[in-house]
Amino acid sequence: MSEKCKAKLINFVKKSVFADFIRGLYITFSYNFEGAMTLKYPDSEKWIPYRRFRGLHTLNKNSEGKELCVACELCSRACPTDCITVIPEENDAGRGIADRVAKVWEVDLTRCMFCGYCEDACPTTAVRLGREYELACTTLERGTRSRDELLLPQPVPEALTGGVVAKARFIRSADGIKVVAELGKVRQRKL
Amino acid sequence: MVNIKINGKELKVEAGKLILDAARDEGHDIPTFCYQADLMGIGSCRMCLIEIEGQKKLQPSCITPVMDGMSILTDSPTVVSARSSMLEFLLTDHALDCPVCDKGGECELQDMVYKHGPHTGRHAEPKHRHHGKDYVLSPVIIKNSNRCVQCTKCVRVCSEIVGVGVLGSIGRGIHQEETSFFKTYLDCDHCGNCIEVCPVGCFMRLPYRYTSRSWDLKSADSICTYCATGCRVVIEERDGLLVRSRAQLGVGLNSETLCARGRFGYDIVNSDDRLTTPMVKKYGKLEPATWEEAFGAIRKGFRSSSPARTGGLISPRMTNEEIYLFSKLFKGPLQSNNVDSSMRWSPEAVEGFAAATSMTAGGVSIFDCMDSQSVFVVGTQLSDENPVVDYIVRRISNANGVQVAIASSRGMKLDSCASQTLRHAPATEGDLLGAAALLLADKDAVRFAGNADFNSIKATGIDTLAARSGVSRSEIEALVSSFGSSETVGIIAGTEFLRFPEGSASLALVVEALRGAGKKVTVIPVLDRCNQRGAWEMGAHPGLGTAYSREGVKGLGFAGMMNTASEGKLDSIYIVGENPVVEYGDGNFARDAIGKVGFVVVQDTFMTETAALADVILPGVTFAEKDGTYTNQEGRVQSINRLLPPPGDAKRDLEIISTIYNIFSGTDDVPVKKSAGIFAEIREKVSTYAKVDLSFNNEKNTFNDLDNKESLVGGSSASLSMPQVTGSAASSLASDGHAGFTLVTGNHLYHSGRLSLRSEILGGFIKGAIVEISEEDADRLGITSGEKVTVAGSRYKAELVLKTRKGSASGVAFIAENYNDVPVHKFFRRGESVASVKIARS
Ligand code: SF4
Ligand code: SF4
Ligand code: SF4
Ligand code: SF4
Ligand code: SF4
Ligand code: FES
Repeated sequence: MSEKCKAKLINFVKKSVFADFIRGLYITFSYNFEGAMTLKYPDSEKWIPYRRFRGLHTLNKNSEGKELCVACELCSRACPTDCITVIPEENDAGRGIADRVAKVWEVDLTRCMFCGYCEDACPTTAVRLGREYELACTTLERGTRSRDELLLPQPVPEALTGGVVAKARFIRSADGIKVVAELGKVRQRKL
Repeated sequence: MVNIKINGKELKVEAGKLILDAARDEGHDIPTFCYQADLMGIGSCRMCLIEIEGQKKLQPSCITPVMDGMSILTDSPTVVSARSSMLEFLLTDHALDCPVCDKGGECELQDMVYKHGPHTGRHAEPKHRHHGKDYVLSPVIIKNSNRCVQCTKCVRVCSEIVGVGVLGSIGRGIHQEETSFFKTYLDCDHCGNCIEVCPVGCFMRLPYRYTSRSWDLKSADSICTYCATGCRVVIEERDGLLVRSRAQLGVGLNSETLCARGRFGYDIVNSDDRLTTPMVKKYGKLEPATWEEAFGAIRKGFRSSSPARTGGLISPRMTNEEIYLFSKLFKGPLQSNNVDSSMRWSPEAVEGFAAATSMTAGGVSIFDCMDSQSVFVVGTQLSDENPVVDYIVRRISNANGVQVAIASSRGMKLDSCASQTLRHAPATEGDLLGAAALLLADKDAVRFAGNADFNSIKATGIDTLAARSGVSRSEIEALVSSFGSSETVGIIAGTEFLRFPEGSASLALVVEALRGAGKKVTVIPVLDRCNQRGAWEMGAHPGLGTAYSREGVKGLGFAGMMNTASEGKLDSIYIVGENPVVEYGDGNFARDAIGKVGFVVVQDTFMTETAALADVILPGVTFAEKDGTYTNQEGRVQSINRLLPPPGDAKRDLEIISTIYNIFSGTDDVPVKKSAGIFAEIREKVSTYAKVDLSFNNEKNTFNDLDNKESLVGGSSASLSMPQVTGSAASSLASDGHAGFTLVTGNHLYHSGRLSLRSEILGGFIKGAIVEISEEDADRLGITSGEKVTVAGSRYKAELVLKTRKGSASGVAFIAENYNDVPVHKFFRRGESVASVKIARS
């Protein structure tokens, strides 16, 4: 039997017992025993992004707890979509690092494109784009975030590098829906 | 003319010209800090260094004049590196806190370093700090010396231009600090010129502090409305609030200077008390209403009154367009010549003043006036009423050695620049000038042979006139001889001639006598309301139509209207922007009279005492919310531009007046929304306005080309007559029985009428009403400045704080017309501005 006939025969037998099909099924079947690649978000898991992530703005304080923002309005000037409003005021009581502080610092997230120019423009590193990305909202007002909220400590501390999946709780309340990560319980993401 | 070369190009320039000016004229950009066209050159900052070929050292171009054969390089590598090094040195001790600094974004140092400077510094030493926190220097100035570049422009503007001189330089080298003596709180003019000239964020506006960035502001070119000098301002708003009013170098006749009112009186616009809805009286009570209701009420109210029994008063703060249409409304559809724009002065006084100051001959520039060899200031408290004219007189007279003579009854800041000051008794300008006219006309008696005014003065005699004015004959002779020795004479004549109209005839005689002697005489009228001249030229006068043409039938002036009203014979009155109830003489006369008018319409921006009596109140707008033109005292026509929308339901005044015009003309002749259309009509109908040029170069420039002669109104052929009024003020005083002091009035340095009282910033400068007498009189009475005194006249008595003024004539008391708590008009008999009073410690 020539080589050619042999190959044909084997091919025929393989086809008649569905060998490739079974191999394929095997791979598919084997995935049933591996962990899932998707995150169980928002039900029980949440992705903690890297520090370089550009999410909701944060306003920061120095180590003495003084606001870094001096209301210079450079961020608002640099912003290509004109979505930051800063109105300064004088405050001698030591709220900020200078006597000029923000009376109003607002960002309109419905216009923001998270380019980070504001961060670049800031001379005091007061404004940073943080790691908060759950920004969907049901009212337009909620699309605007202001100073008081942005000054609150970040849910994901600076020390955490990120790039991990954390256990999370899905909370549905009158305020809306929240997925709260438990930063102690994290796992690497499968790649 | 000398021959020089700039960057290789051969030029002929005037000898003595500064290299800087020559180079800038050629379009070369030389940066400067300490140089300013109007100020004495000091050559201290060395930004302007240039290279002169053949000289090893670079020279400051701002103090080096051109010399024949000079070859100047403005951009050689040495110059470029020197500039950069000068900036590096400046930055070694500069705070560099731009993000916090109010000047950030419009700072000359920022711009300069960006353009010429090193973008990195090499100095690692700690910076010298003059102080920690910024310190407050006055109610309007906050200071941060750590940002100073030691250009001393602030010091120079305050002493050379404003003439107050309260700033100085303390310390030397990097310790040099420009501030007040001992850095204490300043009791100065609060003009803020030091703030405006400071190239960096050292002198800063306190009211503007941390409200905005320069790039947030929307701005419009406007005119200050607090006196008739016609200073150009730029008004700026953020989020609907006016936050700044500033002047620009080389723009307008005022260039970078303003007075306190112009720079800080802008906040009336932001007041919460503004009128925002029309109101109509229903069952005896004013109730908010719609515009339709208001116009409907006006239609009914005016229709039922006969032309002779209706009248109109419009404020000289309104624009030419508004006043033109207002006069046209009365003199046209309403068929009444009862229109006035000068509540405080009689129509005859106005005509006499316009005649004496040759207003019919067209506009005259203040700079032409100051071009004279001698300048005579009379009948005005110039330093308080028209501060920027005071600056111009001081600056030019010091620079060009102009002889200045001042005649007034009160001391003023400008006295220090005068070669002669004459202190006459109040209300005797006429006597003083009469005596001067007699002395001048001695040689020219033929000329005046048939002149009735002259003959009556002559009958009185020089010595009697001099005695009445309280000025010695020898002083008047000295004045006349200073005129005699000058080829050109400038006369600056003010509102006292309107208060005491008997002076106008003598003023006219002096002018005529000087002209007769072959001298060039330039007369500038100085007024205290921004569009007073415009109001007269637009025909808001019972006897004169547009451009001083005579009306066939003379209507009633405001005094006439009030007389008619008090007899219950005035059916309706339309008052725009005035508050006669508290500004018109003789106690409650105006209140009672207006109360008797059948139908009263008041159009204003605030709820006033007069508006409270109205049947219909129409909310108008301020200068920041409308377009239009003003004609200043010189006859310069300048435009204002709107920056803000009218508050609430208020409408622009022109729109209101046009609507009413259309109601009564029964047509749609007047387009309701466009002021430009009305100005086109003014050009067509008022011959003197046909050629005025409204365009204005409003670019910030480094030159100082302040005179814009194309905007001056033209002359007309109208002839005015001199009213025959004699000695009314003197007779009024005599009837009072002289009680020790003669009370006069005028505007305070910080206020203009009652409108500026709405400004919180201006209100912060003076607390409570002040009566002012001379230092000697205070000593005589044993009262010191700051004590409470009682001022008692035969009609009114009030308690005020006493202030002394250096150099005032003895026996003169002054209370400004700007106090709500002490309305000075209550001291006066109706139609007069002088009274006898007693002053005693209370
Ligand atoms: S991220 Fe970009 S678009 Fe968003 S606020 Fe900052 S500058 Fe503006
Ligand atoms: S966040 Fe930064 S850039 Fe923005 S106003 Fe504050 S200090 Fe200036
Ligand atoms: S505000 Fe005017 S008067 Fe006062 S210090 Fe400044 S320049 Fe001088
Ligand atoms: S305070 Fe301003 S104007 Fe005065 S010397 Fe310093 S930089 Fe110049
Ligand atoms: S009040 Fe007169 S002098 Fe002062 S800024 Fe206004 S226009 Fe100029
Ligand atoms: S501008 Fe010439 S030395 Fe300052």
